[in-house]
Amino acid sequence: MPKVMNWQIGREMDYPYEGKRPDTQFAMIIDTNKCISCQTCTVACKTTWTSSRGQEYMFWNNVETKPYGFYPLGWDVNILSRHGVQDISGPVYQGKTLFESAPDGSMVLGYLPEDVDYAHPNISEDDSVGQLAQGAFLQMPHMQWMYYLPRICNHCTYPACLAACPRQSIYKRPEDGIVLIDQSRCRGYRECVRGCPYKKPFFNSITRTSEKCVGCYPAVEQGRQTQCTMTCIGKIRLQGFISPPGQERPENPIDYLVRIAKVAKPLYPQFGLEPNVYYIPPIHVPSPFLKQMFGADVEQAQQAYRKAADDKQLLAALLLFGATPSILHGFREQDGQAIGVDKKGGELVRVPFKEPIFVRPGFDEQFQTHRSNAT
Amino acid sequence: MKRMCSTGFLAATLSVLVAGVAQAGAQDAAPGSLQALRVSGTGPITEVAGATWSQAKAVKVALQPQVVATPTNPNAAIKEVTVRSVHNGEWLALLLEWPDYTKSDAVVVDGFSDQVAVEFPVVYKADAPPSPMMGNAGGRVNVLQWRAAMQRDLDQGREAKIQDFYPNAPDADLYYTNILPAEAGQPYMGAKGLGNAVSVHGHTPVLDMMAEGFGSLTTRAKQEANGKGVYRDGAWHVTITVPMQPTADNAPKLEAGHSTIVAFAVWDGGSQEVGSRKAWSDWVGLTVGK
Repeated sequence: MPKVMNWQIGREMDYPYEGKRPDTQFAMIIDTNKCISCQTCTVACKTTWTSSRGQEYMFWNNVETKPYGFYPLGWDVNILSRHGVQDISGPVYQGKTLFESAPDGSMVLGYLPEDVDYAHPNISEDDSVGQLAQGAFLQMPHMQWMYYLPRICNHCTYPACLAACPRQSIYKRPEDGIVLIDQSRCRGYRECVRGCPYKKPFFNSITRTSEKCVGCYPAVEQGRQTQCTMTCIGKIRLQGFISPPGQERPENPIDYLVRIAKVAKPLYPQFGLEPNVYYIPPIHVPSPFLKQMFGADVEQAQQAYRKAADDKQLLAALLLFGATPSILHGFREQDGQAIGVDKKGGELVRVPFKEPIFVRPGFDEQFQTHRSNAT
Repeated sequence: MKRMCSTGFLAATLSVLVAGVAQAGAQDAAPGSLQALRVSGTGPITEVAGATWSQAKAVKVALQPQVVATPTNPNAAIKEVTVRSVHNGEWLALLLEWPDYTKSDAVVVDGFSDQVAVEFPVVYKADAPPSPMMGNAGGRVNVLQWRAAMQRDLDQGREAKIQDFYPNAPDADLYYTNILPAEAGQPYMGAKGLGNAVSVHGHTPVLDMMAEGFGSLTTRAKQEANGKGVYRDGAWHVTITVPMQPTADNAPKLEAGHSTIVAFAVWDGGSQEVGSRKAWSDWVGLTVGK
């Protein structure tokens, strides 16, 4: 089996195909600290992509409450328990990836969910890990906690769905790294559903093929961010492109946040897929849980995020989340403003660090009337 | 099969009984070569019982677990299939029968369809036959796969709908395909809109395909095969019929008085068998009667 370099685990690993990175790689950063689980992203995705027969149960984008929320039921604990205890303590991952753990006769360690596992997409919404004791007061990290985890397909550099498909019906586009299932070639074997640890390919009982998040590729081709990103009312997402390891551009906000500020982390990097959706971890959650989910150095990300108010470059990048429908290729901080630019350096958006405050007098001279909501 | 775990003992007992029934139907069967018996009539031969088959010699074909291509299926459920063959000068048919105590024709995330496939070399050369495992480069094969799920659609006279699998499921408020003309609705129909043969509700439960190696299975541009499957007495009885003189590429010419070879594969949906997770046979000789 060929060896490929996975920068997220700091080493080479086995993968069924030669490692050839796309020219540019679709990526997204999600700030979990700002998510309120309003599901606007879920509905935007649903109405855009999965409103046909056989797709009724599908959520290519979902938001679940961690630690007890899952869609499908138990998706991560199921694969974690099959994966077994792994050493995730160091910068170079000492455990096995899901490809390296594959049983004989399989490309990847996986499992097929049961049909009913998809029946409770919002199970355990808002459930905390426990009850607060009498007399408790707020501490950091919180002693009882939960947080929201929005999820789409990770458009992995080394997709398990692609590796598992015996027909090579799944492909990764060289122009943007988006992973797609060829609907004219798929025969509904569900090896991708079985193989993907994130359980983001879904089986359609009416077309009898598997379908998955398409990364809103028609929008991305037009230089626009995905539906889930653009419709987010909390402006918690930024979608763009991440550069290959070693070719980081500090002016690219995705590169900056992931590789330079190191404030955003991949989801379960120990699986070895090199997922390209990155999460700013919740700062109120104890780190042992987060280490398993986002990697060994999650505490550094939490600390960097806490200091964002004092770090103009970091603040500028964070303020550009949800600021423009266009994909940002560059950004800079200038005179207390975050400026986002397109591929040619043209200005797309300008966000002030401090919102200006306008005070309207209680009495409106023009219309000779009192305004009770003047603030 | 999974849903019957609580009645595992009953199922196991039933399977023994069922196997007995099916074996009884093929009591004359023995290993050997197939003889396609000439029968009267014209057109596709799809009936699974009756006079057509009464004189055809039954042959037991041993099946083995597929353990070469990934993913493998070391514990294949079906060990043997009983095969008969006839032809009417225009169409050749194979009757395939095997015991199966779970009829699996509803396809959902964890629900798989019972299936059977027949494989012919597109061009038969006795000294250089293609690999029986999906052919090989330069050794192209014609694969004809019957699917219980497609048979179910045909028997119902319509394509599947979500209430077939989840009786209490409501329709969505609005489907694009309800308000858009057929052509404009195509982009919203996924594989169905692209005409993927596994998605389209057609006139036949048999997919007519070609292959030249693992992972290369491709639907033929022209779907010529036909067939019918009936689940009765705890066993599947399936016919697969093909024109002896195909009108498009990538299917064999089957001429009376000539010999060729044929191979088989069976999938037990209840054991979550699909794709390469199957039981397959080596080539079996087939002589087309005069």
